[in-house]
Amino acid sequence: MLNFVSSIQFSDPYFSVLLLLVIALAMSVGFVFLSQALGPKRYDRVKYSVYECGVDPITPAAVRISVKFYLIALLFILFDLEAAFLYPWAVLFRQLGWFGFIEMGIFILILLAGLVYAWKKGALDWQ
Amino acid sequence: MGLDKLLVISAALFCCGLYAILTRRNAVAVLMGVELILNAANINFVAFSHYVSRVIGGQIFAVFVIVLAAAEAAVALAIFLRMYATTGTVEIDAADQLKG
Amino acid sequence: MHLGNLASLTFFLPELAVTATILLLILVHVAGKSRYSAAPALLSLAGVGAALLLVALQPASPGRLLFEGMVALDGFAIFFKALTALATIVVIFMSMESRDLAGRTQTEYYVFLLSVLLGMFLLAASTDIVMLYLALELVSIPSYLLAGYLKGKESSTEAAMKYVVYGATASGVMIYGFSLLYGLTGTTQMAEIGRALAAGKAPLPVFLAAAMVTVGFGFKIAAVPFHMWSPDVYEGAPTPVTAFLSVGPKAAGFAVLVRFFYTVFASPDAAAGMWKLPPSVDWTLLFGVLSAVTMSVGNLVAINQNNVKRLLAYSSIAHAGYMLMGFVLLTPAGLKAILFYLVVYLFMNLGAFYVVVLVANGTGSEDIADYSGLGRRAPFAAVSLAIFLFALTGIPPFSGFIGKVYLFAEVINRGVYWLAVVAALNSVVSLYYYARIVKVMFLEDPKESAELPVPAFPRAVLSLLAIPTLVLGIYWEPVARVAANSVRLLAF
Repeated sequence: MLNFVSSIQFSDPYFSVLLLLVIALAMSVGFVFLSQALGPKRYDRVKYSVYECGVDPITPAAVRISVKFYLIALLFILFDLEAAFLYPWAVLFRQLGWFGFIEMGIFILILLAGLVYAWKKGALDWQ
Repeated sequence: MGLDKLLVISAALFCCGLYAILTRRNAVAVLMGVELILNAANINFVAFSHYVSRVIGGQIFAVFVIVLAAAEAAVALAIFLRMYATTGTVEIDAADQLKG
Repeated sequence: MHLGNLASLTFFLPELAVTATILLLILVHVAGKSRYSAAPALLSLAGVGAALLLVALQPASPGRLLFEGMVALDGFAIFFKALTALATIVVIFMSMESRDLAGRTQTEYYVFLLSVLLGMFLLAASTDIVMLYLALELVSIPSYLLAGYLKGKESSTEAAMKYVVYGATASGVMIYGFSLLYGLTGTTQMAEIGRALAAGKAPLPVFLAAAMVTVGFGFKIAAVPFHMWSPDVYEGAPTPVTAFLSVGPKAAGFAVLVRFFYTVFASPDAAAGMWKLPPSVDWTLLFGVLSAVTMSVGNLVAINQNNVKRLLAYSSIAHAGYMLMGFVLLTPAGLKAILFYLVVYLFMNLGAFYVVVLVANGTGSEDIADYSGLGRRAPFAAVSLAIFLFALTGIPPFSGFIGKVYLFAEVINRGVYWLAVVAALNSVVSLYYYARIVKVMFLEDPKESAELPVPAFPRAVLSLLAIPTLVLGIYWEPVARVAANSVRLLAF
């Protein structure tokens, strides 16, 4: 551990990152701790109640989030990863020639089948 | 950035992930621990690919691990959603109908 | 013989057939308006049948490395592909019969089933740790969904949740072990890793990597410290899925365990005709202890189970323990014993689960107490179940006995006497809980005396499963010869 600390050099390009990390950590922890230690704590019922534009709260705090958000996020992730696989192929497009092209075509076709399935099952409808 | 520092970082991530899996009650938090472990392995792969290996197999493996981690998380979240819809909670302690 | 990408395609036909079937299933479901409820089942049956035929036509004899060293095509891979395809066909029959699954859209179920099959094909054949990880996840992820397939039943969702949490953790730890192996040797090809480790590396990282990889594989075969998911998943999942999980992924898990450890952590010793360990790590002792503990825990906890699926889950944990005995021996005869045991285990286990499906269709229950008087209510099913249970115990005229004989013979041949003693004691203990079910079926009065109908088609399938169980106990030479041939060619 001491070896590690003594091996930190000022000329290391990541030294500034370490400095930033240490100062950010110290500041955030420090400010929260200071405000908690030095600030007054007087309990007032109105101050601690839920804020809802100044009137008495009407809607309950726990909102039911529709499952459609999850479906959209899931489809995004999967097709984003498909795009991530397309990048290496795009970089080496010429070297991979016709064989690579047909191979990636089959890859995209399989994912297209998945997209058609999701579409027909109604995952892409919003309401 | 030496190889040993990267290995220490990935070992620390692995331990954080393992702690999250073993301790947290919320199933989604357990899943986050799994993702931490998978990313620790990814750091290992990329670090070794740069410092040790002559082939870039490690970086390719890292890409595959990222994709499979995403697929696994998608499936796990779908199962947790189903659990939430039937029992109203995602705590793993609530799954006690089938006695071990 | 190494083959490039295009030339490998001609040797990849079974996997292509399964992939085409999966895509066809999706397209037919999306485009079709017909509500033939049996169409997805028949289509997947056709696909898997075609794959099985193509596997039988694949040439085993010069072992080939396909796709630039990713996948091997040797007798070992072909054996496991045929085994898993056969298991899938029987499970498809079981799914068509099960009433639990009848009321739901079936296409997704068969898509998941065939995806697991594709994963198992690749898992048994992979020779590169990237391919291994991909195939392992392809086996695991659809099976999480299969376990949770009965969306309305709470136990099914709970089973899926436990399975997914355990499985994700196990595969994460395994991947970290793979990263350590990659770092030690600088390559992802299993054969090259094996050669580098045999040349000598620092023992601690190698042992750590081996231990972490054991976590991942041990989870798949439900060996003891990693077996906790198995009873809950087997009980909560729909019964055809349980039958599939107990045979398919378990066989594929053994295939990859053997191939990985015998390629990476052992090197072939051509002179002695067996394998020898690398200088750094003696994993045979570790696996010997795991095998003994797995057998014992599986058998002892099965004694006081009341749910027949849970009992069969613990029994398959115990059988994995027996098969691990053959794994630690480092000889081809040990591997032949494991392969033979997997074949007879397939018939016995699938048969037992088939009867469970039929009884659950008729009575809606999976408790042993509700099997009382089955001998009078459904004699055909009861007698078949008795055959399968006695075969699982390992009693002489049945095939399970021959499987155990091969394992015991090789263990004693190699001098690991303590393991043989533990296994013998465990076999005796297992007789108790298998015979308990037979006693309840034949010697107790039925709760209702109505006859439990068993239609003609399940009778046919049950006979097709029971006949090998009986015949292989008397004339097992062809299967043993196939098993021996399949081992000789694993030389990568």
